[in-house]
Amino acid sequence: MIVLDRIDRYRDGRPVLEDLSLHVEAKERLVVVGPSGCGKTTLLRIVAGLEAPDRGRVVIAGKVVSADGRILVEPKDRQIGMVFQDLALWPHMSVAGNLEFGLRVRGVARRERGVRVERMLREVGLEGYRNRRPSSLSGGERQRVALARALVLEPKIVLMDEPLSSLDEALNIRLRRLIVQLQERLGFTLLYVTHNKDEASQIATRLLRLGG
Amino acid sequence: MVKKETIVAVVSALVLAALVWLVMGGKLPDLASAPKVVVYVSEDRVFSEPVLESFEKETGIRVEAIYDTEESKSTGVMNRLIAERGNPRADVYWANEPIRAEVLKQKGISAPYRSKNGDGIPSHFKDPDGYWCGFSARARVFVVNGRVTQPPVSILDYTEPRWRGRAVIANPLFGTTTAHMAALFAYWGDERAEAFMRAMHKNGVTLSTSNGESADLVAMGRFDFALVDSDDVINRMRQGRAVRMVYPDQEEGGIGCFIVPNAVVLIKGAPHPKTAKRLIDYLLSKETERKLAFADCAQIPLHKGVPIPKELTPIEEIRVMRVDYAEVAKKLVAIQPFLKEWVGL
Amino acid sequence: MERGRNLWWVVAVSGVVTFLPLLALAVKSFTIDGHLTLEAYRRVLDTPQQWRLFERSAILASLVTAVTLPAGLLLGMVLGKSDLPLRRLFTLLLLIPLLVPPYIWAVGWSDLFAPTGLFAHLFGQEAAKVASGYLFGLYGCVFILSCVYLPIPLILTMALLRSVPRSFEEAGRMVAGWPAVLRHITLPLVAPALLIAGVLVFLLAFGELTVPNYLRYDLYVVESFTHFSAFYDFSAATASAVPIVVVALALLLLEERVRLTFFSEPLPPTSDIPMALVPLGRYRWPVAFSVALWVGLTAVVPTSALAMEAGGWANYVEAIQRAGSSIGHTLLFAAAGATLLSVLGFFTGYLVRRRALPLWRIVDATTLFLFALPGSVVGIALVALWNTPLGGFVYSTPLIILLGYAAKYLVLPSRITAAQLALIPPSMEEAAQLVGASWGQRILYIVAPLAWRGLLAGWLVAYLFCMRDTAITMTLYPPGADTLSVRIFTLMANGSPELIAALCMVTVVLTLVPLLFLGTLLRGVVR
Repeated sequence: MIVLDRIDRYRDGRPVLEDLSLHVEAKERLVVVGPSGCGKTTLLRIVAGLEAPDRGRVVIAGKVVSADGRILVEPKDRQIGMVFQDLALWPHMSVAGNLEFGLRVRGVARRERGVRVERMLREVGLEGYRNRRPSSLSGGERQRVALARALVLEPKIVLMDEPLSSLDEALNIRLRRLIVQLQERLGFTLLYVTHNKDEASQIATRLLRLGG
Repeated sequence: MVKKETIVAVVSALVLAALVWLVMGGKLPDLASAPKVVVYVSEDRVFSEPVLESFEKETGIRVEAIYDTEESKSTGVMNRLIAERGNPRADVYWANEPIRAEVLKQKGISAPYRSKNGDGIPSHFKDPDGYWCGFSARARVFVVNGRVTQPPVSILDYTEPRWRGRAVIANPLFGTTTAHMAALFAYWGDERAEAFMRAMHKNGVTLSTSNGESADLVAMGRFDFALVDSDDVINRMRQGRAVRMVYPDQEEGGIGCFIVPNAVVLIKGAPHPKTAKRLIDYLLSKETERKLAFADCAQIPLHKGVPIPKELTPIEEIRVMRVDYAEVAKKLVAIQPFLKEWVGL
Repeated sequence: MERGRNLWWVVAVSGVVTFLPLLALAVKSFTIDGHLTLEAYRRVLDTPQQWRLFERSAILASLVTAVTLPAGLLLGMVLGKSDLPLRRLFTLLLLIPLLVPPYIWAVGWSDLFAPTGLFAHLFGQEAAKVASGYLFGLYGCVFILSCVYLPIPLILTMALLRSVPRSFEEAGRMVAGWPAVLRHITLPLVAPALLIAGVLVFLLAFGELTVPNYLRYDLYVVESFTHFSAFYDFSAATASAVPIVVVALALLLLEERVRLTFFSEPLPPTSDIPMALVPLGRYRWPVAFSVALWVGLTAVVPTSALAMEAGGWANYVEAIQRAGSSIGHTLLFAAAGATLLSVLGFFTGYLVRRRALPLWRIVDATTLFLFALPGSVVGIALVALWNTPLGGFVYSTPLIILLGYAAKYLVLPSRITAAQLALIPPSMEEAAQLVGASWGQRILYIVAPLAWRGLLAGWLVAYLFCMRDTAITMTLYPPGADTLSVRIFTLMANGSPELIAALCMVTVVLTLVPLLFLGTLLRGVVR
């Protein structure tokens, strides 16, 4: 599904990723672990198309999407959903607004949008939350909105950058289970970054260790 | 131990204080060192500044001046004089027309002083009580575009059909135009003056924001003539622009040309009265009138026998509109509502 | 508690700077010759003519705001967030109209369309006449004032763009292209800045006198001015300024209501990752061409006309000689004024944003009212306050000019700081408070470093306005302490047009060079 072919990425002259090659199979749950600063987030951003590798190629579903400093396929065209580390929920939109945005710009009809949003909110256990603002939600609720937003467009690949890092243990465990359940039910390929060993072992079908 | 932020706060305060000190001229306010005189000047800076610099050079008295702008652009030094009346800062006011000097007299802001140098100035250009004295005058004249073959000869030409839409006048709410209109009201009486202004309006006169702008519009060819001050015309002539000057109403029995002398005023409670009187004496001298006559402002001396450039006519050869400036000052206030209505405000 | 205690001195200082002059103005408007009376108000407000003129002023101000806000926003986005070539140069050029007294532009455009002007040479007399017809009147006023005030929403937009968290836009880019991201995510987040920009532009356009006067568009503010200038009627001038204050109050309330309803959520702090630029791709050169056309028409053409009018080096030499000490005064007063304003404005902005004391509304409103009032009216109030035996120590020095600037322009750095602080969650300070930091330490180590962009923007905007100020300086400057803009106006009467144009060009250079220098320094520090 995802192929990274000899990726180099530098920042301020220092290598963040060096000669990294990786194959991720479809429907796999690959968890990337490693110490802070080892390039986990950069890896996700390169797959997402938010950054281009300085050297090497990124291939998704058989298509070269980035190569040698150039982004050949824009993020929006890669069918990727992403949960950011700071969640990046848009404060000026409601929960429904956050989910609907991607559907709206793709020209999905209003009724269809409403149906899909409701369905996704049910999936993450947030029925009745559609009109709430992100600032009025708890930490766990915000995580679930971010998750729902990443999934509402039914992406083939989902990237998650330490999505559960700020949650308490009990909530963390519940949401891990939810993520695994959603992945198994919806069948997307998951690339998941964390520095938490327990999280990694519970979610991963395969582990990738970065940064020695 | 002193906290870091205390040090930062103190240093910041010191830096601010240093800036403030610099702004204050890097010194404490003057506490009586070299002799000085503070003059507020309504006469155009380009003309008045050289005269004041000469005074400074010749007498060694430091001149601190505040200059004025055209009225349509700011509220000017008169308002500062009035606002400062409780604690006057100025010693002398150099007005560019006697109406303002009259206003100061009426508001009790000026003090009488009869300079010996004013003795040669005709009495109708002075306040009888000595509160102001006129010198170096402008005449209210027509600036006429060079291509006009038969120029206007009377102020009544503003109402003549052949000049319909071809004439401009500065806004009569400001400057010498206000004084001129007030003078007409004083001279003709209210009824006739109002009729004249309405007829002018009906004849399609255009309003400009100042005499200078009027002169430029005529020089550019946008209009055929305008009523302006004589220095506005001479200025444009010396810039090589295609205009000429016409003194209105000079025929026998005509109302004559409205003359606008500069006026110098001693401020009541002046902080430096001695040097103030010396400056007033200097401004009223024949030598100053000669300088102002030959400067670009080309102002007409009121003393007899002062040499003048060829473009100027000696005051004794001009038919002058005889008005009482005190009455003109009073009329100016009285006709305010009419003028505002006329302008369309 | 401790914060409140510390902020009382801010209230005291800003009270002296702003509230006292406002009070002096109010008292003056209710007294004629020492007697309390409503006569001034009755005389001024009781005529239908007044309200007709008021309506005309409101129309002009509304049109100018309606043009500058979207234009400023659009240009701010293009110049601040895209990879457009020459964007720094374009930004600098667009600032120029703000730097020179607006009257000069009106004269310049009028000369351009004169029968003997360049337009007539190129397109014929008839075309010049038609163009001139449009210039003299409402359209000309709107055009010129829009060019002059465009930098306000432009700069505020560019500053606020940097405050949008990058991840917000990236989350949007996962599902949509840049146009949709800008429209639905970036724009709504920078919109609050535009509210205050709109209020400021409206008030500036409402109070603008010299351009409508020259272009013969009769306005309400001319009436207030006429009372003052022609008839020295200060009571009437102040009374007729009151409706302007009422308008300012209404705008303030409207702005607050809109802000609270739509933009009440604070944004998370931005990281050090630089803002993402939008690649224009194949639109790069067409957009560059369009922007160049706009910049050419609104800034380059009038500036070139000014430069051409100024003529050769000899005129510039003469201009600098004539300007004399006013050049030094201008730079010094503007820098000192901007420093004073940004420091005081930072604390009043903090007071307003955090609502740290019950008086915050009065402080905010007072600064806006003074901004709305004509500069000469504010100046005379300061004369009344400070021209006393006790206050003479201040009044007889250029310090009175700084107080004038502070009174008139405090709202600018104050509101800019408030907007910047809106992006800094209170939790930042609270976290420091919990570990024992005093209020001073929190300001110094937490708030000020996080708000440095706002501080700098406040300084730059204050500097610009102090540089270009005429009305306040004209009314207050002690003898021998005039600035360039005052000297331009005093020399304008019968000064040669070449000299005036050269002086204006000197003003432009004097304003832009320090800004360029600061900009270079800033890039070095940031990266």
